[in-house]
Amino acid sequence: MRRYREAAGEVAERPERSRWRAAALGDRAAVGYGLLVVGLVVISYVVGAAGWLPDDPSRMDMARLNAPPGAGHALGTDFLGRDILSRLIVGIQAYFLPGLLAVAISLALGAALGVTAGYRGGRAEALVTYLSNLVDAVPRLVLVLLVIAAFRADIYYVMLVVGITGAPAVASIIAGKIQFLRQKSFIEAAHVLGLPTRVIVLKHILWYNCAPLLIIQATLGMGEAILVETSLSYLGFGVQEPTPSWGNMVQAGANYFFHGKFWPSTAPALAILFTILGFHLLGDGLNNILESKSAS
Amino acid sequence: MAARELALTALLLVGVSLVVFVILHLSPGDPFSVLLEGQGSGHAVSTSVREALGVPTTWYGRYLAWLGNMAHGNLGTSIRTGVPVASEIARAGPSTLYLTLGSLLVTLLLAVPVALYSTSRTAGALARALTLAVYLVSAVPVFWLGYVVIYLVIHRFGVFPLLSASAEPARHGWLYGLLPIVVLGVANGTVSEVTRHLRGEIGRVLTEDYIRTARAKGAPVWRHAFKEGFLLPMTEMIAAKIPFVIGGAIIVEQVFNWPGLGRMAWQAAQDRDFPVILGIALVAAAFVRLASLLRSVIYAGVNPRTATE
Repeated sequence: MRRYREAAGEVAERPERSRWRAAALGDRAAVGYGLLVVGLVVISYVVGAAGWLPDDPSRMDMARLNAPPGAGHALGTDFLGRDILSRLIVGIQAYFLPGLLAVAISLALGAALGVTAGYRGGRAEALVTYLSNLVDAVPRLVLVLLVIAAFRADIYYVMLVVGITGAPAVASIIAGKIQFLRQKSFIEAAHVLGLPTRVIVLKHILWYNCAPLLIIQATLGMGEAILVETSLSYLGFGVQEPTPSWGNMVQAGANYFFHGKFWPSTAPALAILFTILGFHLLGDGLNNILESKSAS
Repeated sequence: MAARELALTALLLVGVSLVVFVILHLSPGDPFSVLLEGQGSGHAVSTSVREALGVPTTWYGRYLAWLGNMAHGNLGTSIRTGVPVASEIARAGPSTLYLTLGSLLVTLLLAVPVALYSTSRTAGALARALTLAVYLVSAVPVFWLGYVVIYLVIHRFGVFPLLSASAEPARHGWLYGLLPIVVLGVANGTVSEVTRHLRGEIGRVLTEDYIRTARAKGAPVWRHAFKEGFLLPMTEMIAAKIPFVIGGAIIVEQVFNWPGLGRMAWQAAQDRDFPVILGIALVAAAFVRLASLLRSVIYAGVNPRTATE
């Protein structure tokens, strides 16, 4: 972020720190909460992957089915008496790496398309617009179901679709930013100095000036990926019982929900809610703090 | 302008059909092998069956044949039920249309007041609380909210019979149709974005010079800000969010046993019923593009300059 200042006078009128300090309390709180959620998810993923769980996620405690949170099971048990906290932690694996893959695809493809449209303009821009409209025309979940029907219900195929369908949003934002940056004198100066286009695009445009945008888009994209994974697991196309995923945990608890045992369904639903909320707030909060001023 | 937009729409639909067709073509086991499952296999059998039925053997040949059929309104027949896809879609489509349009309305009914209130001058702590509530609501998993509503309304208060389709429509039968609409409208995940966009645009327009002029001469600000600050962003959001609402409809239809395209798509994905899911993808794309066309028309109506660009 320090390098941001060296890039050009016009873009960064003020040093980064005052931007954080000047930010509205609400935005800072949103970013704080989002970072907390991201931290919790990452730590839980590592904990789950290392196998340090409070209980075996597949051990059935027949004496305590659908138990509310209490001693022995910090977040209660599900319909087979399995520890919900452990299952929630293991459930993160269902979306963590696939989600990162989807985000990486969205960012790489979106940045490439955005640079092409914003920097080249003309026919290239028209083509990128056409492709973006093409991808946006089919609802994401319909496309996912289509791919599932054509291949199989593999989360990595699904996340490929999520990654590709997430690219147009990234592309349009990057293209817009580049159109704004192109008028700036430092880009012109770089051209005059004879820097190769590759360096200007990758270093001076993407790295120095689009990094915050890409981080924001990555955050929002991860939220989307989690939403798709949990929805699919709920619909029965994702992770299958007995392997836990937040979506299939909600589904598995459904019958008991209607008989008044709300908790086994509600615990994973709340996990989804507060996690997605965290990613949304982090993305929008960062956007308000880092981008709203520099764009105008 | 209109001709150009229509041509673009047609081009996009052809593109969508090509993409969808290629995905299905790349899949291991095409519709024919599904059809021939368990009836003896081998390359020779499938080729001879193809030839006997007059099916082109190259993929682009099949695509063109299929495109030609589609131009005549023939979307093929469902592998599972044997019923023409077009009539299946015509049967289930209206339910989904009702669900998606209704829930879009609910979303707007939630988002617009919050956006308007939080741009007003008296906005304070309540506006912040409402904004947070809007974010919270947008993160609620729609299927879980469906359970909560079903539990409350059916099991707790016994307002509706459990299965509305089989049972005699009870006293509040028409209300049953509103439940999925409300659930999808609240929890389709777009409320916060719609609110944010609308608030941003209203806020931006209110600082424009012409609004300041209107204020200075005592003209009603709202009437001047309406088109650019409200109508256009609303149109933009409706067009942009329709795909998300359709996606949500797939889940909500599953939760509520709603006999629409979403359930059909789900069933088709289970059965690898290619023609059905292909038809649904195309209809969905046509619907999304229709919304975009409508947006272009409204934009051109508000600002004739965009029509000539």
